[in-house]
Amino acid sequence: MSTILTHIAIADGKIKRSSLEVLSHCKQLADQSGHSVEAVVVDANASSFVEGIQKYGASKVYVVEDPIFKNHMNTPLLKALVKVMESANPSVFAFASTEGTKDILGALAANQNAAVLPDVSSFELMDGGVKAKRPVMAAKIISNTEAKGDTVLVSIRSGSYDLAENETSAEVANVDFSMDDSELKATLKEIISASGDTIDLNEAESIVAAGRGVKDEEGQKLISELAEVLNAGIGASRALTEAGVYDPSLQIGQTGKVVSPQLYIAVGISGAIQHVAGMANSKVIVAINKDPDAPIFEIADYGIVGDLYKVLPPFIEEIKKIKN
Amino acid sequence: MKFYVCIKMVPDVNAPLQIKDGKLIQDADRQILNAYDASAVEEALVLKEKHGGEVEVVSIGTSKASETIRKALAMGADKATHIVTEGNGDYDSGSYARILARFFEDKEYDVLSLGKQSQDTDAGLTGSMVAEMLNLPYATNAVGLEAEEGKLIVKRQGDTGQEMIELPTPCAVTCSNDMNEPRIPNLKGIMASKRKPMEQVELSSLGLNEDDLTASTTVLGYEEKPEREAGKKFEGEAGEIAREVAQLLDTEANVI
Repeated sequence: MSTILTHIAIADGKIKRSSLEVLSHCKQLADQSGHSVEAVVVDANASSFVEGIQKYGASKVYVVEDPIFKNHMNTPLLKALVKVMESANPSVFAFASTEGTKDILGALAANQNAAVLPDVSSFELMDGGVKAKRPVMAAKIISNTEAKGDTVLVSIRSGSYDLAENETSAEVANVDFSMDDSELKATLKEIISASGDTIDLNEAESIVAAGRGVKDEEGQKLISELAEVLNAGIGASRALTEAGVYDPSLQIGQTGKVVSPQLYIAVGISGAIQHVAGMANSKVIVAINKDPDAPIFEIADYGIVGDLYKVLPPFIEEIKKIKN
Repeated sequence: MKFYVCIKMVPDVNAPLQIKDGKLIQDADRQILNAYDASAVEEALVLKEKHGGEVEVVSIGTSKASETIRKALAMGADKATHIVTEGNGDYDSGSYARILARFFEDKEYDVLSLGKQSQDTDAGLTGSMVAEMLNLPYATNAVGLEAEEGKLIVKRQGDTGQEMIELPTPCAVTCSNDMNEPRIPNLKGIMASKRKPMEQVELSSLGLNEDDLTASTTVLGYEEKPEREAGKKFEGEAGEIAREVAQLLDTEANVI
């Protein structure tokens, strides 16, 4: 019997849903193959998340708690994960694919001499390794890839698996951790956060995304109103984040975030492949665009051909009515 | 500051492609400079123009990759090293990282810069692998760079905000294409690039053989993505179609 270890990411004082999706899938794989599934949480308040992790079936939770983990920094996170890997000795170590994960995955693989499959949309165990599907070529096609080795690291795109609760009474292993300043190779000077209480796009059930067609403040106001009635996160195409209209952390696409909400409303977005790469796995896609030939309509479940300035006000009104 | 920028020739993801018997076939076999690497070159050039220094590009690839290297030289890089491989179909990120780590092991530099990922595979591993192998402080997904005496200040796009990170040099950084708009080489640059030094290095002269570079991951084949069908398209009076779709999202799609 071997161990599947899963990393539990924390954001804004909460467990990231995408991490629990990964844990849910790993629990299922472990049950099928007779392996055990364990979890590791690294945070300034790591122990407060143990209960939440137990709900999803980990038989053991490694807790690495230290004030240094208040903000993401790669050196301490790497050190913590190396330490946990050395005691858990996992055959597979699975992560939700976040910017935090992307920052350390290659380094961790190099440190542990492990094989690594980043940003997969699904994976399964095989003899001596892991088999996975990876979207490639701007997510236009799928590459079937296998990794062989005693240890395989894998990171999974958010929304790839459903949550499955599976209450267990996990053993808790507190991991000693300390790091002095001389070990810290870099210094985090400042964090420039996205404005206020924006909804994390990787976690959002619904997303309203603005593109080049959203030309002015009036358009942005309509986007905000629609997002508000739907309790949706706001995203943007690269054109608008580059122009400084929206915060760069809201960019959706090959370069920005890859999202898969239940509802994705693309407003004034033409649908360039780089954008589609970041949202094509959304469950229901609505596109609003005045160009009837815009490529976004090829993947939209509901395509509204029209001027967003004329379409959005009645659309928002109607959704308000439905909600009430 | 001495910059080394690692660049890669990659297939153009915008070119039409087909899958035949699990193999990927690109109609025109268009190969270009990876967009993220182009941003890394651009940013190094900007910092060199500001603070002085030197920008050298390094690329691993077949003889064809020299075209991509010339492009970086035409943008303004001072010189280049081409680590020549026979083929590159079977290498994975780990193989590339081992070659780069070996190459840089005895080099002197302030900043080792790379694109954050290759636009064909989107793996994004090589940068942090090389940093770990060389025991360098590093930052990934940089959207801005500033140089100070003995330091590189990186603005990094994190999950929810931007992080300002100070790295002591020598250090490694991986660059996003959100950092800048890479310059298009002008005629003068193109002419000058032909006279710039491009050193060719064989893997064997780095003391590496194919066994050292065996990939731990293998692409078994490619398949089409499950096709997403175009749904219903609504045209007509804006208010009418807006209300109709809103109703359908409630009653048919069940998402509001």
